[in-house]
Amino acid sequence: MNQTSTIASSYSPPFRIVSKYFIAAIISFVLLNLSLLLNHSDIVGHHFNPKILGITHIATLGWITMIIFGALFQLIPVVLEVKLFSEKLAEVQFWIYTVGAIGLIYCFWYFNTGKYMNISAILLNLAMFIFSFNIIMTFIRVKKWNITGLYLGAAIFYLIVTAVAGLLLAINLGSPFIKIDHLQYLNLHAHTAFIGWVSMVVMGVTFKLIPMFTLSHGYKLKFAIWAFIFINIGLLGINTIFHYQETNFLYYIFTPMISVGICLFLIQVYIIFKNRVRKKLDTGLRFSAYAYLMLVLTTILGTFIAFIDYQNIINLTLIYGYMIIFGFFSMLIVGQMYKIVPFLVWYHKYSGKVGIEKVPMLKEMFSEKIAQYGFYIMIIALFGSLFSLTFRNEFGLIASFSLMLLSSLIFSFNMTTIFRK
Amino acid sequence: MITEDIRILKMVTEYPSTLEVLNKFSPLFKNQAKAEINNSIARRINVKQAAEIAGVDLTLLLNELNESINEESNPPKKNNIKESKKMQNQKPEKLKKINAEKFLQLDVRPIIDSGKDPFLEIMSAVKSLKEDEVFHLINSFEPIPLYSVLEGRGFHHWTEKDGNTFNVFFFRDSEPSDLPENFTTKEKITEKDFDNVIELDVRELAPPEPMMKVLENISRIDENTLMVVHHHRDPVLLYPKLEERGYSAMTNKITDDYYKVVIMMKRKE
Repeated sequence: MNQTSTIASSYSPPFRIVSKYFIAAIISFVLLNLSLLLNHSDIVGHHFNPKILGITHIATLGWITMIIFGALFQLIPVVLEVKLFSEKLAEVQFWIYTVGAIGLIYCFWYFNTGKYMNISAILLNLAMFIFSFNIIMTFIRVKKWNITGLYLGAAIFYLIVTAVAGLLLAINLGSPFIKIDHLQYLNLHAHTAFIGWVSMVVMGVTFKLIPMFTLSHGYKLKFAIWAFIFINIGLLGINTIFHYQETNFLYYIFTPMISVGICLFLIQVYIIFKNRVRKKLDTGLRFSAYAYLMLVLTTILGTFIAFIDYQNIINLTLIYGYMIIFGFFSMLIVGQMYKIVPFLVWYHKYSGKVGIEKVPMLKEMFSEKIAQYGFYIMIIALFGSLFSLTFRNEFGLIASFSLMLLSSLIFSFNMTTIFRK
Repeated sequence: MITEDIRILKMVTEYPSTLEVLNKFSPLFKNQAKAEINNSIARRINVKQAAEIAGVDLTLLLNELNESINEESNPPKKNNIKESKKMQNQKPEKLKKINAEKFLQLDVRPIIDSGKDPFLEIMSAVKSLKEDEVFHLINSFEPIPLYSVLEGRGFHHWTEKDGNTFNVFFFRDSEPSDLPENFTTKEKITEKDFDNVIELDVRELAPPEPMMKVLENISRIDENTLMVVHHHRDPVLLYPKLEERGYSAMTNKITDDYYKVVIMMKRKE
């Protein structure tokens, strides 16, 4: 039994800050799709291309990481039953981060290396360090640790690795100093970002949110623990060996470990879904379920790329990156936002009035029907893009990117409706 | 200064050093300290009752407690403390006459060992008791606070110690009692006032419906009523809302997906 009345009010999350991050992320998502459509002719060939680097950073910094920051400020107090260390820092971080992200994306776009790129990277690093400091200080107060906390802790570590590696890469573009191949170091940066930072957060949060929304229980989390062990050993290994030149043998040990870890995670997700009490999946959960299916495909492709000499298939990494960003992360984020944001706004505006006056139901917060259209359009756009990228079909690319833009507009329309409710 | 009627939880929270003294006095407290002062039990009992439960001298305990917080102790005069006789040696006539199937037995030791509060289980067992039945409670220590709670409901008790096990029998008696009034504590025990229990099962509902259901029903809680919510998770977002409206909550984790939340009006202290 815990005495909750004394600490109760401190759980209330900072809605103002969380919504700021979410709104910035949703705007980024629309911009991301718009710039993809407008620059579709650049989305071919090798991934080391200024426009692609710019677009990738709109996706990772603007869309994915922005939403993770907001979501974590919201979720950590709920999941770990602890108050956020500083709401002020979360606010300050937002502005430093936004300036840094816009600066970096601008510099990539016009390939303006040197001073301004370095300053942007430093600002981003500063924001990441503020975030990490804030979260670590929050973690220190946690009394009840759980598997989600473990994943989040690892995610913070990889965020810092990603940020520092990103800074070094930025400086290296202006004045080369890295001894090993720039692209190999870029590979480290990208995989630490996607598997270490984003996936660790996504996985950890999955173990809390999916059971919460599907009312799943009566299962064990042992696969979650093994997934954690495998992915981390693999990732730490990759992070180490990428600092050296001849890495083939160890690379073939660590990469499969990551794949195995992701498979274990997927098995755990499957078990959670199987044990759910609510059998019917609403739109938010359907987006999420398909996102996990896309992760299956992405993992297969990623493992494949690791073992073949993919330099010959020049846009395979593009397809891979597109699958990660749109197939897995975007679908998952959209799905989870359809669950979290209505609840968040409802909690903020209406929970104080329940039982006193009439309040809207959760499903009255937005139109489920429009959201469903958004889902089907996104699925079509996703496979259309992958098809068009593979066969370099320009018309297909325009059509698919247009549909993806439409889907993102539907999503942002629904989110706006909820926020204004 | 620590006095005999300060509650254990409050004392330990305000003066962490007192925990050590408690540990020294009785292994019973040691267990309590482990589970964060075994939460609920510690909240309900005061130093005097704790001393009685553990069978230690109250004056001595108070002295040590006060020493540990570096305050001049004002030792209560020895002759003010009644040496209370805890055990009835004589088995009441009524218990001898009753046959075995009339005994309702509840062993709360596993509940205590897992760091939880058996209070609700005990009360629901008592509630289900028929007029002529006897409630047989098995515990690892003498549940002194419970005596006065159940006395308020017309129960007499008889306690028998068997090694480390206490067998406590609660029974109703229509005839005038031949038992001395041993344990009338001036300390008001909150739970004894609750006559009604509203139960809500929200385990099948997805958020925020559990919260809605609770908030829609809390107006039914009054001074004599508490609400027990069966929940599938620890509803951390609910607590601030309850707080705002003047209610307090205690949550008991039964299993990973089953939590019992007890909601009552905030105590006026």
